[in-house]
Amino acid sequence: MKDFRLYDISDFVIDEDFIRWVHEQREEDNLFWSTWLQQHPDKHLVIASARRIVESIQFQQSNISGQEVEREVGRLLQTISTQHIKPEPRTGKVIAFKWWYAAAVLLFCITSAWYFYFRNTHARPFAYAVMVSSKQLIEHVNTSQQPLLLTLPDGSHITLASKSRVSYAHTFGSGDTAKNGATRDVYLLGEAFFEVTRNPHRPFRVFANEIVTKVLGTSFTVRSFEKDTTIQVTVRTGKVSVYKQAETKASSKTSEIILTPNQQLVYERMGQTFQKVLLSNPATITSTGTDRTLVYDEAPIDRILSDLSNMYGISIVFDSDLLKKCTVTADLTNEPFYRKLDLICSAIDAHYEVIDGQVVIESSGCK
Amino acid sequence: MLNNDSQLEATWLQRLQQNDEQALAAIMRKYYTALYNYGSRFTTDEGLIKDCIQEVFISLWQRRENAASILSPRYYLLRALKNKVLKSLHQHNIRLGTVALEEEYDFLQEFSVEKLIIDKQMSEEQATILRKTMAQLSKRQHELIYLKFYQHLDHAQIAGLMNLSRQSVYNLLHETIQKLRSLWQAELFPPA
Repeated sequence: MKDFRLYDISDFVIDEDFIRWVHEQREEDNLFWSTWLQQHPDKHLVIASARRIVESIQFQQSNISGQEVEREVGRLLQTISTQHIKPEPRTGKVIAFKWWYAAAVLLFCITSAWYFYFRNTHARPFAYAVMVSSKQLIEHVNTSQQPLLLTLPDGSHITLASKSRVSYAHTFGSGDTAKNGATRDVYLLGEAFFEVTRNPHRPFRVFANEIVTKVLGTSFTVRSFEKDTTIQVTVRTGKVSVYKQAETKASSKTSEIILTPNQQLVYERMGQTFQKVLLSNPATITSTGTDRTLVYDEAPIDRILSDLSNMYGISIVFDSDLLKKCTVTADLTNEPFYRKLDLICSAIDAHYEVIDGQVVIESSGCK
Repeated sequence: MLNNDSQLEATWLQRLQQNDEQALAAIMRKYYTALYNYGSRFTTDEGLIKDCIQEVFISLWQRRENAASILSPRYYLLRALKNKVLKSLHQHNIRLGTVALEEEYDFLQEFSVEKLIIDKQMSEEQATILRKTMAQLSKRQHELIYLKFYQHLDHAQIAGLMNLSRQSVYNLLHETIQKLRSLWQAELFPPA
């Protein structure tokens, strides 16, 4: 037992038992403290001061209702029972548990049926077969071993990999936007490289299992076979945005992710998480004809890094204040991207890390 | 004195390990308000907080075979939530082009002084002084006393959650309390 006689105001204020008494006023605590105060009447003032301090520390309570909590609990239970995350042999089955399971499955069936009924393009589950059924689509299937080159009505090109299929509406790209919706939608199972004709008024969307890739006009690859555990989106040029199909209807696309050239997005289908990575050998985004020579003579580091950043479309983060005195003399023209970074970093005694699809330079600066 | 609570929690964790979804639901019910409240210290985006809480519990479910090794569910959940929320805010900032280091997150200061005026019959004058003192505290100090007085974490857990050593938690806490204390003594109980 703690010896409260030795306690000062501050000691009481940070004592867990004391705080709980002030906050919760439990029966057993009330009894303990009133008895203790009777035994130590000289401590009344100390206890009163400590109490006031603890009472003065009040945080705004979040206004979340019991109903809302229950809705979130329901949402969680539905997610875990429909996902079959790491199914394990079940031991010691409980009857109540099986009932719950049955109820969850039933709920899932009802929800799916509801979605089908309304024939929503963003219906759950997001398997290819479900997305393309009940729509009048043109489908291309590549059963050969060679990639298949397709041209869409709007002039965009698709290079469809072997064992992959792609579908789009037969009205795709026709001028009547009011009738066909304002988007160019393509459904993909497998892998394909897209070169999209620019049209800012009609976003081009690729539906690949759980995720949607939306662009205005760029080139990129989507890989999403039914059996793969991940979905990958890789950007060659331009910018694309990727989000989960489940969120197309929700007002806030909280996990919409923007990809820039040489970045790859890996979507873990089990955990439903996105991860942004850089390609292991990034390509320059400027066309080869206009390739710049990267020969530097005592050049300031921020100029070199911004040249690199522009050349590969990769964002490079560094403290320009700290590095403003750093200069580098080098010929970086023919080196691969990471070799260039190595050379620069060793010249200024820094190192770099790739975090979330960006390069972060760490250094203590130059004299 | 808290034995009943922690025994109940230990039972939940055991049942969770045996694939009992209802145990997961019970843990969520118990901690939802506390987690939601903690989440709202970092962002005002309610949808984002709710989604992050969902993700925290989904990953708890995925790791349920190790559930019994969790000593304090509260600490485990708060830590997981903080990581999730800061990560998604960080990604959001990158998209907006405002790249900040994760260490520099905001801790929203929302001491409720109004509640005190009503509950404890504090005068407006006292409340003003209190508000001023609170405003003088750093974000770290706010987070620290929030974790201590609202989430009731012990010093080791606070140290883990804030990436501080136990000694610096103690020092920072002490400094904060001294500030509050001198305020009360100087301003509210002036030497007669």
